[in-house]
Amino acid sequence: MVGEEHVSMIPAPAGKRWAATVNGRPFEVLAPSNAVLLDVLRDKVGTLGVKRGCDLGTCGCCTVMIDGVPKLSCLTLAGQVQGADIITVEGLSDGAHLAPIQTCFATHGGSQCGFCTPGFLVASQALLNENENPTRQEIACAIEGNLCRCTGYQQIIDSIEAAAAIHRGESETLAPASEPHPDPHPSGPGEPTMPPGHAK
Amino acid sequence: MGSYRQQPGASPSEVRKDGKRVAGKQVFPPPGSGGSEPKMRPRDLDYIPETVGGREPKPAGDHIHDRDRTGTIVGKAIPLVDSNAKVTGQAWYGDDVRLPGELIGKILRSPHHYARIKSIDTSRVEALPGVVAVSTGQDAPNRFGVLPVTKDEHAMAVDKVRHVGDLVACVAAVDESTAIEALSLFDIEWEELEPVFDPKKGLEDHDEPIHWRGKYHLARTNVQKRVFQEFGDRSLVKTPHAASHGSWTMLGVHHGFTEPHAVVAHWDPNGRLQLYTPQQVPHYTHRALSTVLDVPMHQINVVRTFVGGGFGGKSDPFPHEMCAAILARKSGAPVRITFDREEVYWINRGRHPSHIDVKMTADTEGRISGFDIDALIDGGGFASFGHVTSYYNGVLATAPYELGSFHYTGARVWTNKPASGAMRGHGAVNTRCAVEVGLDEMAEQMNVDPIDLRLANLLPPHSRTISGFRITSNGMREALERVREGSSWDSKFRQLPLGKGIGIGCGFFISGSGLPIHWDPKNFPHATVHIQVDMDGGVTVHTGAADIGQGSTTAVAQVVAEVLALPIEMIHVRSHESDTSPVDLGSYSSRVTFMNANAAIRAAIGIRDQLLKAAWEMLGYHPNVLVLNDRRIYYKHDPAVGVSYLQALHKAQADTGALIARGAYRSPPMGGVHKGAAAGLAPAYSFSAYVAEVDVDIETGLISCTNVWAAHDCGKALNPLAVKGQIIGSCHMGLGQVLTEKMVYGRTGHLQNANLLDYKIPSVHEMPHVEAIIVESSDPEGPFGAKEAGEGPLLPILPAVVNAVYDAIGVRLRDLPLTPDVVYSGIQKHLKKNGLEEPEDIESPRLSHGPLQEILVARGDEHRERDRLRQRSEDTSAYVNGVLFGFDPDRPLSEQVEGWREADEPLPEQLAELGFAGRAWLKKEQRHMEDDA
Repeated sequence: MVGEEHVSMIPAPAGKRWAATVNGRPFEVLAPSNAVLLDVLRDKVGTLGVKRGCDLGTCGCCTVMIDGVPKLSCLTLAGQVQGADIITVEGLSDGAHLAPIQTCFATHGGSQCGFCTPGFLVASQALLNENENPTRQEIACAIEGNLCRCTGYQQIIDSIEAAAAIHRGESETLAPASEPHPDPHPSGPGEPTMPPGHAK
Repeated sequence: MGSYRQQPGASPSEVRKDGKRVAGKQVFPPPGSGGSEPKMRPRDLDYIPETVGGREPKPAGDHIHDRDRTGTIVGKAIPLVDSNAKVTGQAWYGDDVRLPGELIGKILRSPHHYARIKSIDTSRVEALPGVVAVSTGQDAPNRFGVLPVTKDEHAMAVDKVRHVGDLVACVAAVDESTAIEALSLFDIEWEELEPVFDPKKGLEDHDEPIHWRGKYHLARTNVQKRVFQEFGDRSLVKTPHAASHGSWTMLGVHHGFTEPHAVVAHWDPNGRLQLYTPQQVPHYTHRALSTVLDVPMHQINVVRTFVGGGFGGKSDPFPHEMCAAILARKSGAPVRITFDREEVYWINRGRHPSHIDVKMTADTEGRISGFDIDALIDGGGFASFGHVTSYYNGVLATAPYELGSFHYTGARVWTNKPASGAMRGHGAVNTRCAVEVGLDEMAEQMNVDPIDLRLANLLPPHSRTISGFRITSNGMREALERVREGSSWDSKFRQLPLGKGIGIGCGFFISGSGLPIHWDPKNFPHATVHIQVDMDGGVTVHTGAADIGQGSTTAVAQVVAEVLALPIEMIHVRSHESDTSPVDLGSYSSRVTFMNANAAIRAAIGIRDQLLKAAWEMLGYHPNVLVLNDRRIYYKHDPAVGVSYLQALHKAQADTGALIARGAYRSPPMGGVHKGAAAGLAPAYSFSAYVAEVDVDIETGLISCTNVWAAHDCGKALNPLAVKGQIIGSCHMGLGQVLTEKMVYGRTGHLQNANLLDYKIPSVHEMPHVEAIIVESSDPEGPFGAKEAGEGPLLPILPAVVNAVYDAIGVRLRDLPLTPDVVYSGIQKHLKKNGLEEPEDIESPRLSHGPLQEILVARGDEHRERDRLRQRSEDTSAYVNGVLFGFDPDRPLSEQVEGWREADEPLPEQLAELGFAGRAWLKKEQRHMEDDA
C-alpha cells in the first residue's frame, strides 16, 4: 500500500542503445538516457581506469579524450557523444608497450597514490599530441583542471617534460632528472670484478 | 634502473620513432652463473658505504646495516614498484572492486546537528521494489573506535545523531537509483537537542553532553580529553629578555585525497567476511568489524585495495565499512558502498580546528627559557584519534630546541560537527606554526637573525628532550644551514622591498609511534615481515604495510633486494590481505619505512644466511668471506670462485623446500613515567627546515608563494625520488592549509563547502617551485639509517610562509588560512594603528644586528662542533635538555633547581591563571553512567 503512494523522483533506468569507439574498439551498450559518460565507461564498458573523484568537474580524475579533446566524463552525458572516438587511460599504450608519457610518470615520480594519474595522463597526452615542445607554463595550463594531492605537481610537470623530449626524439633515456648521484659508471663498469685472463 | 614495459620483451634501448618501445629480448640477462664466465654486473661501490669498503660517504660513522649493503638499489632513485599498475589504469581502488551480483549500498544521513531518534519506520523502504536489505543502528549496538580508550562510535546512530551527516540507516538495492530513492522513504521521528558548535562552549556544562565518558566524565561538559604537562624551571620565565605572545585561530582542514571512500563487503560461501576497502590501517578495521559484527577476527579477511590517497583520513575504522558488512550479511550478496565527495567531508577526520595560545620567553643570552602552550581543539562528534592529538599539540613542540621550561594545557572537546582526527603531521602542525612564528618575533625583539637564534638553541644528536623523548640522529643544524645557503638568506632577509618577503620555519616529527595502540610492545612486535623463496628464485614478501601512495611497498621491496643483491623485479610484495599478511599497524605515525623496512631487513638476512650457508658447503669458504652481488655469491678475494644465486638456493632448498624467514621490529624501551609519557615517543625523530619566499599584493592581500627551499632530514633516502616527492607533496598540502584551505561552518553550524570547488586545494598554478633538499643523518636504528619523510616535511611550510608574510608587509597575522580577506583586514588594522594612509606607506621590517647576534653566532659555531662529535657518537656523555642552562646532566634536575617541576596536573594555585583549554581543569571528574555502556 505504501508503495503505491510513493511517486518516484528518479527516472527508471530504461536501457537505450549507446554506441561509441572506446580505445579503438567499437562498443554498443544499453544505458539510461540520463547516464553520464563516466558511469557508462565504468559500469558498462568496463574501463575502470577512469576515476570518479568529485562528480562536479572539479578534480579532473575522470578526464578522457573525446575525438582528441580532453574532457570531463562526469560532466558529459553519454548521449552527447554517441559515435565518438573515446580514449581512456587504458588506450594510451598500444597493449604491449607503455606510451612515453606513462613511462615517464613512473620514472619521474609523477604518480604517487595513482588515483589522479589516469586523468593527468590523458590530459598531458592530449597536450603532447598538439604540442611536442611545451614550456612548463604550457604544461601547467594543460593540467590546471586536474587536482593532485600527493605530488605537488612538480614531478608531474617533470614527467611531462621528459615525455615531450621522447616525443621529439631527443631523449631515449628515461632516468629521472632528479637523480641524486650522477651515473656512477658513465663509461661502463669501473671496478674489475674478474681477474683479467681468468679462465678455467 | 629497471626498464618499464607493460609486457616482458621490450629492450630499453630500442625506442620507436613515436617513442614506444620495440619488442626485443628479455631484460633479465643470464644470471651471474657459476661458470667460467660469470656475467655479473660490477658492484656499485658508490652505493656501498665507505665503512665497508665502498665509496658512499658516511659522515655519521658506522651503521648496523652497513654490512648488509650490496650496492644493489638502496639510495637509488627508482620508480615505485606499483607505478605500472597506476599509469595503465589497472590499479584497483575501492570502487573498482566489482563482484558478480553486487548490490549498491547507500547511507541515510542525519539532517540534524544533534537529535534523538525516537523511532525509525522502515516499512516503506522495504516495500520499494529493488530494495534487498535495510539496516538501522539497532542491528549493530556494539561500539567501536580507533583507540581502545575511546570507543564511542556505532555503525549507525543507536539513539542520537551527533552531527549533520551522521549515519542513521543504510539500504542495499539492485542499483544506485533505487538505493537513492529508498533513502527518501524512511519515516523517522526526531527529538532535536541543543547543539554545540563553538569549542569554547564545549568547556561549559551542557544539558545533554554529546557523549558520556563514564567515570572520567568532566562535570557535564563536552570535554573529551584534557592534558596538563609541566616540565622545568618556571622561574626562568618570570623576567624575560624577549617575549612573544600569540593567539591563533586555525580553521579545520581536510585531507582532500582524490579517492572518495568506498567499500565492498561479501560473505563467502563458508560464512567468512571478505571486506575490500582502501584503508591505511586494515588491522583496526579488522578489529572493529569483529567487535561490531560479533564475528571472530579469523573469520574476517580485510583486503586493502589500492588507496587513492590517505594522509590520515583513511586510518580510522569507518562506520560505512560496518554498514556494508551488515547489508551484505542481510542480503546474502556482495554490497558496494561508494561515497560521493560530500559524504567524504561528513566523515571528515581532518585536522582539528584549533585555538592556540603560545607564550614564549628568551633570556639575556638568547636562550629559550620557556614555552607556554594552550591548545583548545575542536574534535567534532567523535573521539577518533583525539586522545593522542590532545597530547601531540603540546609535546611535539618540546624539540628541536633546548628549553628552560615547558608548560602545556590542552583540551579536546566534542562539538556537533563531523569528527576531526589524524591528518598528515598529526597534532603537531598547528602548534609548530605558532611556536616558529613566536621565535621569529623574539628574534626581532632581540635584533638577531632568526636562523642564528635557532642554530644557537638546538638540541644535539643523541640527547633527551625536556619531556624525556630520546633523540638519536638529528640533522636539524645541517637542514638550517642548507636552506640558508640555498635561498641566499643572508642577502634577502629583512632586505626585500615592500610586498616581498622571506621566512624560515622548522619542523620536528615522530618516525613511528613508540607504543602500538592495541598491545604491549614487550609482548608483540610492532611489525612483522615474512619472506618466502621458492624454486624459481622469486622472492615473495608478506607484510601488512599499507601502501597509500607513499611507496611503502617499494621501500620494503628495496631493502629485501638490497640485502639479497637481487634485481627489484624479482621481489614480489604481497600486502593486500589480512589472511596472508602478518599483523601490522599499517600506515600512520610515519612508521612504515622505519618499522617494516627494519623487519624486512631482518627477514631478508634470514634468507641470506641460509643461502650463504649453502654456498659455504658448495665452495668451502666461510660466509664471512663470501660476497653477494647481482644474483651471485662468490669468494671475496677471487670473484671467479662462486655460485649463482639459483645454485645456492637449490642447494639450500635440498632438504626443506621453499626457504622461509621472518623478521620483526619492536622499538626499544623509552620514555619517562609521567602520565602521557608515551605520547610522542618514537624510536627516531625527523627534522626539517624550510625557507619560503612570498609576494604579497598589499592592495588586495593576495599572497602567492613563489619559492620554497625545503630541507628534510630523513636519515637516509632509500629512494631519493620518493623522498623528494614526499617533500614537495607536503609543501603543497601545507601551503593549502596556510593560504587557502578551510572547512567553513556557517552561523547555523552547517558545513558550507563540502566539495572540491569551494574547498580550495592549491592547483598547479598556486604551486611554488620547491627545491627539495635531502639531509642524511643516518639514524642508528633506522633501516640503513632511514627515518620518516612523509609527515614531518609538512610542518615547516606553514610558519615559513607566515614569517615571510611578516617580512613582506610587517604585519603579524595569526588567523589561518591567510586568505586575502584576512591579510587585507590585517593591513587595514596596521594602517589605522600606525596612522598611515595608504598601504604603500607601510615600512618593511628591517634588521640591524644587536649585541646578542655575535653571542649567538659564536654559540652556534661552538655547538656545530659539539654536534659533529655527537653525531659520530665520539662524544658519548649524556646530553640532557638543560645543559645549556648550566645544569649537570648526571644529577637529577629536581635536585639542582629549586622549583623544578615535572607535573601532569596543575597545582591548585595555578588554576586561576590557566589558559583557555586549561579551564577544563576547573571541572571535576564525576561518575556519569546514564548512557555509558
